[in-house]
Amino acid sequence: MRIRKLFIAFIISTIAAFSLGGCASMGVNVWERDILAKPAMQLDANANDHALDDHIYFSKEASSGGRGFGGGGCGCN
Amino acid sequence: MQLNGSKSIRGALATITAALLGSGAVSVADQGKLESSLLYYSESGRVRATEGIVNISKQLKGDRNIGVKLTLDGLTGATPNGAAPSSKVQTFTGASGSTQNVVPPGVIPLDGAFHDTRFAVDANLSQPWNRVTSSVFGVHFSAEHDYYSFGVNSGITRDFNRKNTTVGLSGSYSHDIVAPRGSAPVPFAFLPASTPPSEDGRESRGAHSTRPKEVFDVVFGVSQILDRKTIIRLNYSYNRTSGYLNDPYKILSVVNDQNSPDAGEPVNYVYENRPRAAGRQAFYGQVRRDLSGNTIDLSYRFFWDNWGITSHTVDVFYRWQLRGDRALQPHLRWYHQSQASFYHAFLVDGVAFPQYASADTRLARFSAVTAGLQYSLPITVGSRLNITAEYYTQVGDRSPPEAIGRLRQYDLFPRMNVLMFRLGFESGF
Repeated sequence: MRIRKLFIAFIISTIAAFSLGGCASMGVNVWERDILAKPAMQLDANANDHALDDHIYFSKEASSGGRGFGGGGCGCN
Repeated sequence: MQLNGSKSIRGALATITAALLGSGAVSVADQGKLESSLLYYSESGRVRATEGIVNISKQLKGDRNIGVKLTLDGLTGATPNGAAPSSKVQTFTGASGSTQNVVPPGVIPLDGAFHDTRFAVDANLSQPWNRVTSSVFGVHFSAEHDYYSFGVNSGITRDFNRKNTTVGLSGSYSHDIVAPRGSAPVPFAFLPASTPPSEDGRESRGAHSTRPKEVFDVVFGVSQILDRKTIIRLNYSYNRTSGYLNDPYKILSVVNDQNSPDAGEPVNYVYENRPRAAGRQAFYGQVRRDLSGNTIDLSYRFFWDNWGITSHTVDVFYRWQLRGDRALQPHLRWYHQSQASFYHAFLVDGVAFPQYASADTRLARFSAVTAGLQYSLPITVGSRLNITAEYYTQVGDRSPPEAIGRLRQYDLFPRMNVLMFRLGFESGF
């Protein structure tokens, strides 16, 4: 339980650090986005594959969500 | 970069244009895009499923984008009904009351073979409000013979820091209706085949044939470009589900206690009883990096809920770019979950039932591994074919310490092995 709380606190701190400007010095200029603009570099590439995977794991495991919404829409679990 | 011919120049110009106009790490939207996938899923000795998805998106005036996704899947086969193995033949009556399922001694009982077809449609409209803010609104409907779902969802994203940071907040609400075959069983009611409705008022089936379920989801996420080759994302998601959360087809064996000569042998069966609400949360972290033209994607999810389940999921993809715009993508996923506080592989006769109990192995402690390989190749300019094969295996505690009597002899969590084949096609139009 204590480890979980420490872990959660770490994650929240990380997100807060990003949100509060810790990331202001990171990143690239618009003319440096050639690689990031590739389809393979999109975080949501292969959306159908992820949808099929999420449906399978939703029906076979107790966990859901994280990448997107976690539940509803199927009677498989 | 060396440019050969007008095609390479056009490609380079398109990349530069995309880079200049792109929002954050998102490339410029296509005028229209079609993505379709076909999945074949086969568990050894159990369920087989086929699922097809067609996803069409089209850019409208004012940079708005509309998307429609159609899903159709069909299932056939059998799943464990929750009862424990026995040294005797076990007979169960199907949910419709018209079929008998005879289970040989010593094996995990499966429910009778079932067939189900599910149809789902999702539609969404995204709308940019200015250079850095956009929103999306969507609706969902799905229907299968014993389950219906109606949902709405919405989200907003805003870019910061020269579009290197994107913050998003989205939510969804779904009203689902569970309509079990027969009707919804009363929790802890005895199965009619083993015991008729008892004198204490328990009855085998409820009076109403449908039960509602409400599902709320919220996702808060931050994505951040770290450098020319690296982007990361952190998400927090919260889900609250309330209403009828039982699996109406899952039961538990009530077995003789350990002092009995027939210890571990079933004397009865009852329907499961889960809490009427669940709160689920997850942290999700993802990093995607270009490695000299190849791409690696590593993600981790930490999940926990108020049913006592915690889980860890690690997912790795490596896209290996080949000549001729072809690609090979190995995939590895590892998953481990703890068991729900009310998971019981069986109940004991003469001992007071707990407040909640389920023998659904999806609520048990287990680990799972997925290993797969995808081959991707261009078909024509702007269209691709993806061929994927994956293997999934689930391993649980085959002989848990609480097993008593003859249950110690049996495999209470048979290993599940699954083969999956996927065919994907995507094209611009």
